[in-house]
Amino acid sequence: MFSRRDFNKLTIGTALAAGIPHTANAQGRPTLTIAVDNLWSTMAPINGISTTSLRIFPNFYERLIERDYINDPNGLILKPKIATKWEQHGKVWHFEVRQGVKFHNGEEVTAEDVAFTLGADRLWGAKPFEPRGKTFTEGFNRVQATGKYTFEIETDNIDNNIPGKLCGYIGLVVPKKYYLEVGVDKFGQAPIGAGPYKVNTFRSAEVMILDAFDDYWGEKAPAQRLIWKIIPEYSARLAGLVSGEFDFIVNIPSDQVATLKGYKNVNYISRTADNYPAFAFNTRPDPVDNPLVDVNLRMAMVHGVNMPEVVKALFGDETFHPAVPFNFPEYGKFYDPNAKPRMTYDPQKAKDLVKKTKYKGEPLRWHITRSFYPNYEPAAEIMIEQWREIGVNVQAIILDNFDLVYRRPFHLMNMSMSSSFIPGDPYQPLWLDWGPTASRSTASWKTWDPSPKFNEIGAAFSKASNFEERRKLYQALSDEWQDITPGLYMWKSVYNWAHRSGITFKPVADSDMRMHGEYLKLS
Amino acid sequence: MLRFWLVKLLRATVTLWLVVTSVFIVLRTSGDPVQSLLPPDATIEEIEQFREAWGLDRPLTEQYAKYVVNMATGDFGKSYRDGRQVTTIIAERVPWTLFLGLTAYAVAVLLGVPLGILAAIRRNTFVDRLIMSFAVFGFALPNFFFGILLILLFSLNLRMLPSSGTGTWMHVIMPAATLGLTTAGALARFTRSAMLDVLGKVYIRAAAAKGVSFAGRILRHALPNAAIPVVTVMGLNLGALLGGAIVVETVFAWPGVGRLLVSSVSSRDLAVVQALVLMIAATMVVANLTVDLLYGVLDPRIRVASKD
Repeated sequence: MFSRRDFNKLTIGTALAAGIPHTANAQGRPTLTIAVDNLWSTMAPINGISTTSLRIFPNFYERLIERDYINDPNGLILKPKIATKWEQHGKVWHFEVRQGVKFHNGEEVTAEDVAFTLGADRLWGAKPFEPRGKTFTEGFNRVQATGKYTFEIETDNIDNNIPGKLCGYIGLVVPKKYYLEVGVDKFGQAPIGAGPYKVNTFRSAEVMILDAFDDYWGEKAPAQRLIWKIIPEYSARLAGLVSGEFDFIVNIPSDQVATLKGYKNVNYISRTADNYPAFAFNTRPDPVDNPLVDVNLRMAMVHGVNMPEVVKALFGDETFHPAVPFNFPEYGKFYDPNAKPRMTYDPQKAKDLVKKTKYKGEPLRWHITRSFYPNYEPAAEIMIEQWREIGVNVQAIILDNFDLVYRRPFHLMNMSMSSSFIPGDPYQPLWLDWGPTASRSTASWKTWDPSPKFNEIGAAFSKASNFEERRKLYQALSDEWQDITPGLYMWKSVYNWAHRSGITFKPVADSDMRMHGEYLKLS
Repeated sequence: MLRFWLVKLLRATVTLWLVVTSVFIVLRTSGDPVQSLLPPDATIEEIEQFREAWGLDRPLTEQYAKYVVNMATGDFGKSYRDGRQVTTIIAERVPWTLFLGLTAYAVAVLLGVPLGILAAIRRNTFVDRLIMSFAVFGFALPNFFFGILLILLFSLNLRMLPSSGTGTWMHVIMPAATLGLTTAGALARFTRSAMLDVLGKVYIRAAAAKGVSFAGRILRHALPNAAIPVVTVMGLNLGALLGGAIVVETVFAWPGVGRLLVSSVSSRDLAVVQALVLMIAATMVVANLTVDLLYGVLDPRIRVASKD
């Protein structure tokens, strides 16, 4: 409400609002204001999954295990957080919980809380509180507290990747008692975690305020308060950063980067994220005359676009086109830097392939969500012209939301794929996102039907625990995917930020902004 | 007179019902709230759970009937976004929009009316042309563009004013100026033409012949008679101010109903959008009724005509 205090601020506030740098409190720790473009509607760990909430999650939730980007740029080193030790015994993983860790309501984090966090009631049972958790807990059949500070996870098959999976959303520990008391919806509006900051205020259409949590078990938060404030207009974000009202801003449009870099008191940083904007071909006979059911036309379109040049034109050297799909640098041992792409830019070959089809130049509808992926629309414009050169007529249909994008008829559809679910393993983009249970294969807007061969290899891949066996199956699965060519990965996403001088900030590969520990230093 | 007001009231009720119904139809045909509120790769189970929880799985006729009954009883429901009562959410925002709107309105009236009078008095002079140029500039410039220009000038370059948000009285200057300028331009033009019309009347010459001072002729004789079209424009512009607030509040991150409407539409938060549109429509209806009332106060002929 518009309170008397607000009125006083407005009427007698004499401080110069502009030009005031970050404010320090009596203890000497500053308040940091981060101007963001949006906030998600709920901050429940799974129901609230989004780029905008992930940005904030690691500041007030504590993970069981964290990807360590300080000692490895790809985050493939796993760092103990609430889970201090873990051991595998066949299908059972045994974990120890750190003692003395407090939730923000003062209660101690116990194995009971962790078992609930990962358990069937919340994630993978018949009617879980956060049903999307099933995606991340495939194969779980028992999660149980075996002592006050120990718990076990048992899976249907041997799963070597459980610790890696706990680095993700499912590993954000919630307090069982409070969660059950208020229910998931209210929890998402007033979440309690065990991270270095606690939630003071959350108004999803306006602001989220976090205060330092001084009972945090680890290194104390460097800022007394973090204010994540929605400033929809980029000019206002930029002006606020340059004038000292904000300490951080996010999502700088790529055509504005040069201008921003021209200001002396601000630093621009960017890094690639474990996510790939892409498009899916509609490979199904829906509409009935869909020419893209012919794999030759799909392959022609991949050969017909010069993706490395498109990416360079739009992003400079900030990112790249993954010429071999699923061969991503963040996959560590799975990544082959010398892998040769099968489908390179070759307009003549593309024309020859088009000739093999019955395609006669009829328009193909490319459904694109307006302004959802940075630079997607400009890329589409260039690609459409390149396709025109090989005789393929694509029309970009820019739509306001995914509901409209999903409405048939369409021939191509925008999408993106994350690669971060299991650190260093291609399980998510290859199998989780394209397998027979993926939304891409099951939803009303599905774009393909995985081939029996793909399903067979994928099932074996998902169960393989030996690295060599897993690698071979991964390559076979990738080959089968390329034989069908149900889509094209365009580039590795780029996230960017700018902050005032006097801050050292280390971004990580997801969009999360870790405003603590080695990731944020203030001077 | 009573019949006159009953007819007015009935028309207002029908207008509001049409608004309520249109909003219901448009929001449900323009996009599925589930797709906007849940992530693109939400599971079917998650989507079904959401639909069931919010009654979106019920037939449209049932949803509509429930919606109209609830509206009629003042129950606007809960926000899909955060589960809070819609009335609570809007009540938090209304004072901010009122504060901004009234400040902008004051800017518009205090700037537009005197400038219009001055332009009329100095008709066809440099002053007149200067003021009319300002007026055209005011209502021709889109306010989102003008707002960004102000931010770039006063926040980014001169660093005199805060770029966005609230907190001190300085925060309201740029949004109020942006919002008020358009209305000021329109008011200046209407005031000028109304004043020119009145200044040529016989009774103004008669007043001058009787020795009434220049200020007296303008303020006591010309201005009240020129007020009717000006008041009409002021009334209509109250609605325009609300419409303008939608853009200005977004540009300046002002936490009012305009910004709430934008974010609620983009996330298909049906309950909030419905209540807001109804509120804005009601504001327009009330503003028009108030203008009708003021006509009677300002012009005795209208009172007499309605009695006849």
